[in-house]
Amino acid sequence: MAQTAGRGDSIKHAFIGPAFLVVLVVTLFPLIYALVISFQAIRLVPPLPPRFVGFGNYAEILSSARFWGSMWTTSVIVFISVAFQYVIGFALALALHHNVAGASLYRVTFLLPMFLAPVCVALIARMVFHPYLGPVNDAMGMLGAGNIPFLTEPNLAIAVLITIEIWQWTPFVALLMLAGLQSLPGEVFEAAKVDNIPAWRRFRDITFPMLLPLSVAVVFIRLIEGFKVIDTVFVLTGGGPGTATETLTLFAYNEGFKKFNLGMTSALSFTFLIVVIVFGTLYLAAAQRVTRRYA
Amino acid sequence: METAGWKRMGLGLSLVWLFFCVFPLYFVAVTAFKPPLAVSQGPTYIPFFDFEPTLQAFRDAFSGLRGDFYGPIMSSIFVSTAATATSVFLGTMAAYALVRFEFRIRLLSGLTFAVIAIGGFVFLQQVLGWGVPNALGAVLIVALTTAVLINRLPLPGPVLGNNDVTFWFVSQRMFPPIVSAFALFLLYAELGRAGMTMLDSFWGLLLAYTAFGLPFAVWLMRDFLESVPLEVEEAAMVDDIGRLRIFFQIVLPMSKPGLIATSMIVLAFIWNEFLFALLLTSGKWQTLPILIAGQNSSRGDEWWAISVAALIAIVPMIVVAAILGRMMRSGLLSGSIK
Repeated sequence: MAQTAGRGDSIKHAFIGPAFLVVLVVTLFPLIYALVISFQAIRLVPPLPPRFVGFGNYAEILSSARFWGSMWTTSVIVFISVAFQYVIGFALALALHHNVAGASLYRVTFLLPMFLAPVCVALIARMVFHPYLGPVNDAMGMLGAGNIPFLTEPNLAIAVLITIEIWQWTPFVALLMLAGLQSLPGEVFEAAKVDNIPAWRRFRDITFPMLLPLSVAVVFIRLIEGFKVIDTVFVLTGGGPGTATETLTLFAYNEGFKKFNLGMTSALSFTFLIVVIVFGTLYLAAAQRVTRRYA
Repeated sequence: METAGWKRMGLGLSLVWLFFCVFPLYFVAVTAFKPPLAVSQGPTYIPFFDFEPTLQAFRDAFSGLRGDFYGPIMSSIFVSTAATATSVFLGTMAAYALVRFEFRIRLLSGLTFAVIAIGGFVFLQQVLGWGVPNALGAVLIVALTTAVLINRLPLPGPVLGNNDVTFWFVSQRMFPPIVSAFALFLLYAELGRAGMTMLDSFWGLLLAYTAFGLPFAVWLMRDFLESVPLEVEEAAMVDDIGRLRIFFQIVLPMSKPGLIATSMIVLAFIWNEFLFALLLTSGKWQTLPILIAGQNSSRGDEWWAISVAALIAIVPMIVVAAILGRMMRSGLLSGSIK
């Protein structure tokens, strides 16, 4: 890196400048405007002139049951689905790494779900889980239990959302863990095999600790991405029944585009940002402690 | 003996997952060819055996009888290819700068930037009553110039290096997108009032999606460019060939596999993106995901039509996944996780 620092150095600004400006102007600068608005009561329909309310919007959010409900829903979906994604994804990566029969076929197929639009996946799930016309209830019927209202009963709807998340994002975990497995030094495993250390202990004492930093990163990415979920919920249940499956992003969207309550939506999205930052910091601190104990 | 047991378990898991993974896709693929009766009388699975396949749903979709299909398809294609090309190009340039040059940015100058930007905006807009776009533009210029000048001064405090700059780019992805999407919507609406149409326009979407794709592009291309050997470039520099020519004539051609892989990933993200399109478009420039999300309420149980719409969005991504899958086998992507 930076071998050529000094000579003709100033051209570096021309290289990085455009990307820097685009991110600054599109992603960061509007935030300033939204931050100002989040301290105001401002409504489009019916139009209400902007009025400074200080932390009023934030206080209202923190005391609203709907906010905590959407927090809870989002957390349940994210934590349960990421736990499954990690375990299944890691197991699949191990299987692929050890070249199970047909590994090359699985490789491409397993990648597929994460490249599909979440709205498509949700539409497909609507058909598959349909109470009368869907294949899942068809199979359930054969087992003696039929016509389960998957999408209209809150807990079941959340279970379906979790299933969708697992279906779509386990490949991501598998892909990265597989790349991690392939980058591990082979000699250690050869030595362990020669010493007749059983497979389970090889995994527990060598593979898992060596991949722990990668695991921490992969789970972190999935948690952060998971918290943003809106498209699947939007299509699958629209947040219903009632607001039982409403996630944070959907809640913010509904405030802004159904009630046109701009100050509220801005405050809500900043609250959301703070939640993500606090949570991310806590997670990384905890992860560092765990990694250090293993290392 | 014991290893064989584990292998069998691995195979079992892979097969179960294969079924779990493929069945929904199979179901949507066959549903697109079903006549209405094959849907409304309970689930059917095997064409020719369970039902007579028909192309009627495809004909309906493309005849334009049932809502506009071409519009969203075309705007999806235009917007996603243009935004992918722009963000991969700008991202590669930025990544090149991050790999080959050294950046030193004082934390203090970054903080100054933030303070001037926020404080200046509040002052101009709230106190002096300027319009939002003007205030933002003025603040941007003032804050940026001041920050650049301050960075030259020998001030105390930590100095950020290239890794921090890269992290700054990537950290845009950690933001909940609703924060910037909503803020961008407000700004576009203000620009619209000032006579510049950004909402529901090609340029508005292009700009938003370029920024959306940049973090990936910078992050992935940095890894690819690090593996491009330096010697060729050094030889060219001895011959006094300018940096820009080196970049366009040597670096870009040499990192072609990386460019393809990055473009595929960025393209997939933009093609599937929902929230920005939902907020920033309203009619003319609606993209496919918005059309598809609307199918549900407008079509109800007309699954054959829904399936056709879903398939149109899925098929290009199958091609993308296949290309990436082949690249992955050649070990190309394994470098990017470090």
